[in-house]
Amino acid sequence: SLEPLPMGGPDFGALGEEAELVEVEPETKQEILENKDVVVQHVHFDGLGRTKDDIIMYEISDVFKAKNLIDVMRKSHEAREKLLRLGIFRQVEVLIDTCQGDDALPNGLDVTFEVTELRRLTGSYNTMVGNNEGSMVLGLKFPNLFGRAEKVTFQFSYGTKETSYGLSFFKPQPGNIERNLSVNVYKVTGQFPWSSLRETDRGISTEFNFPIWKTNHTLKWEGVWRELGCLARTASFSVREESGHSLKSSVSHAMVIDSRNSSILPRRGALLKINQELAGYTGGDVSFLKEDFEFQLNKQLIWDSVFSASLWGGMLVPIGDKPSISFNCMFYLGGPTSVRGFSMYSIGPQSEGDYLGGEAYWAGGLHLYTPLPFRPGRGGFGDLFRTHFFLNAGNLCNLNYGDGPRAHLQKLAEYIRWSYGAGIVLRLGNIARLELNYCFPMGVQSGDRICDGVQFGAGIRFL
Amino acid sequence: ATLCFQAFLQMCNLPIQVVCRANAEYMSPSGKVPFIHVGNQVVSELGPIVQFVKAKGHSLSDGLDEVQKAEMKAYMELVNNMLLTAELYLQWCDDVTVEEITHPRYGSPYPWPLNRILSYQKQWEVRRKMKAIGWAGKTLEQVLEDVDQCCQALSQRLGTQPYFFNKQ
Repeated sequence: SLEPLPMGGPDFGALGEEAELVEVEPETKQEILENKDVVVQHVHFDGLGRTKDDIIMYEISDVFKAKNLIDVMRKSHEAREKLLRLGIFRQVEVLIDTCQGDDALPNGLDVTFEVTELRRLTGSYNTMVGNNEGSMVLGLKFPNLFGRAEKVTFQFSYGTKETSYGLSFFKPQPGNIERNLSVNVYKVTGQFPWSSLRETDRGISTEFNFPIWKTNHTLKWEGVWRELGCLARTASFSVREESGHSLKSSVSHAMVIDSRNSSILPRRGALLKINQELAGYTGGDVSFLKEDFEFQLNKQLIWDSVFSASLWGGMLVPIGDKPSISFNCMFYLGGPTSVRGFSMYSIGPQSEGDYLGGEAYWAGGLHLYTPLPFRPGRGGFGDLFRTHFFLNAGNLCNLNYGDGPRAHLQKLAEYIRWSYGAGIVLRLGNIARLELNYCFPMGVQSGDRICDGVQFGAGIRFL
Repeated sequence: ATLCFQAFLQMCNLPIQVVCRANAEYMSPSGKVPFIHVGNQVVSELGPIVQFVKAKGHSLSDGLDEVQKAEMKAYMELVNNMLLTAELYLQWCDDVTVEEITHPRYGSPYPWPLNRILSYQKQWEVRRKMKAIGWAGKTLEQVLEDVDQCCQALSQRLGTQPYFFNKQ
């Protein structure tokens, strides 16, 4: 199914993925300073324009609690990071000085934050070239709209084949940017050649994010008007039958626990994502319950290599007497970002060459990432590349809900598709990854389309 | 239009099954109903269907000579242009009918708010077409007059014969 154009949540200004707090090593000279009691008397802000005071006060409240000079420095640094994370300042500088003036205590300190607010409106213009299509993407952003870190983003993509746009409003809770609300309105179009399908989605969604202890939760309501059409005259009749309009109104909940140090090529940590979606009880004509999860574990080994294991799975249960769930809600399997060695989404039930997706699936992968042999370009460009050896497996099928869970597990365990191989991975910033692999697909069933030999993949989420 | 197909196919003695689907308009490769699904092929609209059936060996107009075939084509065009357009006009351009009958019927398979959006979209499309062929300026009375004239022409052609052409 289609995702609305990515809007991004809070802007992480100056934080890189390896950012850690400044560790101040106390030396002998500084030990004296550490023992000296100080009191933070004033905190000044230079450069505030439309930003409201209350949102600032939450972020700097800790600075007042510092008891000695090292503490003041540490807490000011933390406050600076928090202020940058709000996404409303381009720059924040901290100045610590002794207090001057009539009410100055002998050990009083003044901390001054010199900030530069972002402009009211920022724009961006990109051109993108993709699968046989070129498009022009125009983005407009209004950061800190009403003074409390609200953000309105508008993105418009005009392509040779399709046009998409999206408008998004984001509001964090003052003092706690992890708790936020966003409202999106969008129109996205996409083409899926593996199913001979084209889809246009127009929708509204409201999303509420909040953390509980170490987990991040998202509650979302989404209403989407979906229009499906055939991509070619040769589309199979099963696909043709699904053409037309439908309305999906669904409520979903997602939980994420992420302790990895990076989302692309992590070296350590684990990820668990559990998502459920219930459609049909808030309107619309599509009714189902969908569950899916994603798990990943990474462990660093000797010689700079990393071992990674991942497991994905999901199940879709239609509710009510309406028998068919259209393809855009189903799960798909296969491709360079999923079970490698198979063509994009070309595993599982199909009709005349069009892949229909399935109601239940699982997929797993074991990877070993090592630096490039002989380590060319070490310390610089060469660090972006890694060699990897992989073993992927998975299965996708439709379930007959009359049989029990045992029968379902049995069905998912028959005819497992799997593949192994090796290749090179290139990391693109903190967002995406490119892979060039040589694959050996195995366990191929009739109807699957394979890509044995060299396969290229680009994306954000890989098995 | 669907009825005429059923009649045609039954007159050719071909077994058919009629299925009603809300999204039939979108399933059709040309966007027009009705269409037939035979084996692996999908054919839509009267002309191509008749040709398809003819290619398979069934035809109703084999016994006619050239003059009659031309006449038949002319009458079919008359029916298409006049009656079908009048039907569309009545359904989508006459406000009373639109409000009371067409909107509820067209939107009935869809949930709110999709039913309103889709029927307004269709109405806008049909009105644009009416403007393009010059019917937008006609009033209801004029349209009904045109329909009347068309029916008179057809009944004149039929005269006292049981069928328009031949004895089939």
